[in-house]
Amino acid sequence: MKATIFFPLVLVALSVSGSLQAANLFAGQDRAANVCAQCHGIHKPAAGAPFPSLAGRDAAYLKEALKQYRSKKRVSEIMNAIAGSLRDNDIDDLVAYYSKLKP
Amino acid sequence: MKIIKKTINQTILSSAISLLLTASNLYAADHEAKDTQKAHEGVNAHKLFEENCASCHGSDHGGFIAPALNAATLKGRSPTALRTIIMTGSFDTLMPPFYGKLSDTEIRALVQHLQTTPKLPNPAWTINDMKASLKIYADESKLPTKPTYQLGSLDDLIGVAARGKYGRGEGSKAVFINSKTHQKIGEIKTGTAAHIIDYNPVNQRWAYIKTDTAEIFKVDLYTMQAVRSIKTGYNGPGLGVSRDGKYIMAGSFVPHNAVILDANTLEPLKTFELEGVDPDGKMVSSDSGMIIGTPFADIFAIALENAGQVWVVDLKGDFPVTKITDVGRHLHDAFLTHKGRKLMIAAYDDSKVTAIDLQERKIIKKLDAGCVPHLGGGAAVKVDGRTLGFGTNFGSCDKTVVSVWDLDKMEVVKQIPVLGGTESPAAHANAPYVAVDIISKDRRARAVQLIDKKTLEVVKTLDVGGHAYFPEYSADGKFLYISAGYSGDEVVVYDSVSLKKVASIPMESPAGIFSHGRVKYMTRGLLPDEMVK
Repeated sequence: MKATIFFPLVLVALSVSGSLQAANLFAGQDRAANVCAQCHGIHKPAAGAPFPSLAGRDAAYLKEALKQYRSKKRVSEIMNAIAGSLRDNDIDDLVAYYSKLKP
Repeated sequence: MKIIKKTINQTILSSAISLLLTASNLYAADHEAKDTQKAHEGVNAHKLFEENCASCHGSDHGGFIAPALNAATLKGRSPTALRTIIMTGSFDTLMPPFYGKLSDTEIRALVQHLQTTPKLPNPAWTINDMKASLKIYADESKLPTKPTYQLGSLDDLIGVAARGKYGRGEGSKAVFINSKTHQKIGEIKTGTAAHIIDYNPVNQRWAYIKTDTAEIFKVDLYTMQAVRSIKTGYNGPGLGVSRDGKYIMAGSFVPHNAVILDANTLEPLKTFELEGVDPDGKMVSSDSGMIIGTPFADIFAIALENAGQVWVVDLKGDFPVTKITDVGRHLHDAFLTHKGRKLMIAAYDDSKVTAIDLQERKIIKKLDAGCVPHLGGGAAVKVDGRTLGFGTNFGSCDKTVVSVWDLDKMEVVKQIPVLGGTESPAAHANAPYVAVDIISKDRRARAVQLIDKKTLEVVKTLDVGGHAYFPEYSADGKFLYISAGYSGDEVVVYDSVSLKKVASIPMESPAGIFSHGRVKYMTRGLLPDEMVK
């Protein structure tokens, strides 16, 4: 029932970000499904997987974590490589998607 | 399920991985060569392979639903690139990330092990090994005589083979759903990925689950628990149940054998060594392809993949075998038609589907298919006086089609163009469309296409998400269930007429979907009157 959930969410995202550049939930979903979900899952990581869950996490925290991984302030062999190629708007899209997703 | 070809998403990922490679290369170049032997001391790489890789890549390093990993296939591959694939997984495939699950030392040891181990000779798994593996979990004499839950008919059960991301562990189970309410009724943990679910056609309470590591579980659907299990080999999806519900036959890729079991006790009764002369005149030892019981007779039909033969086993005496040779190159899966008398079987390497008469025990005709036909259980529908069979094809070629055959005349009616390679068709007598799953390894994998039974045209494309595959109709034909596959982690349910999404059932890496209704209609899409009693 994703479609019915997303449309109101897009409206929320638009109104929250106001006149600033709006995060694109669909772009976020696309990237999450293609990249992040490989380890972190959509709603939750795989049973027995050593990766933290992302769905429903605090947006500010997610954004900060991704930026720190990108700048290598926070060190992780895998996450530094993955986050290293994200642009600011990619991070915004991903954060918007995962933070609004029910775990 | 098909053999997976490794392709990596050409998006953000390639850049991420190349970054990772560059970073690791410096380290690797310095350390890999001189430290290899020393660093891996104390790591049992063979055990690691068995416990993490073998269920998909094959205990003999010869490949199964994933590529063969041995000295020959990995010759010249960069150890660093291989480490990266193990760490991150291979996107758009079932290969999961082992970063954090295996240590860096273990991953390095595995890579070295894989690049130095040849494909192993077929390990033995004898009837005595099978007998010793039989486990009993419940006293069947004390089970209740009715289902412990409310359900109008057991045919409304739908079983989903949930692989689990790692193909083993807590996520691997068979999940049973009430296809009227789309609520989960029960689940059976299977240890390794569940691959096939089959039902007893006589006593509706029993189901059989086969895993990727060839364990067969006998499941009591009334109480939703496994009552027995037996390990019939190392891997191989072949599983069939006889029309009288008394026998099961299972076949393996490793080793090259098949076995008939007592369907009640799971005790092995007879094993068969699978070997024969292939269509090119060469004597070969062979993987077991599909195994099927038919409502037509007290027989099993089994495909010898590499030998290109179909054996018909009579369920009497010492289980005598009639061998039908020259059926096609690299046989795989099949479906039944004409009250179970005729068998349509896919020959990958010939791009043909061969029709076999199980009464005469001979080939009727070899029909054109698309490239690399994978029938995935097949579908047949009766329309305007004709019985039409639908054949999916998972090869990559310029022209991707679904074949439609007139099963009475045994001729090609149409090759319907579809978006990409396809793996499994679904049909139901009461539903207007035949659903096919697009499995090409890019965005198209999200799609399922619907073919109108009458016009034989694609009329709609569903964006299911994930890697959508294995569509299946509920027993009443009202709902279409689809696994959103590796990255979707849900089973999505559509109304079969309006094609509106009506439910989502979360599950880890769902794959094959098997309606209990299948015991009623032999081949999906036909009416129960196709069955003989």
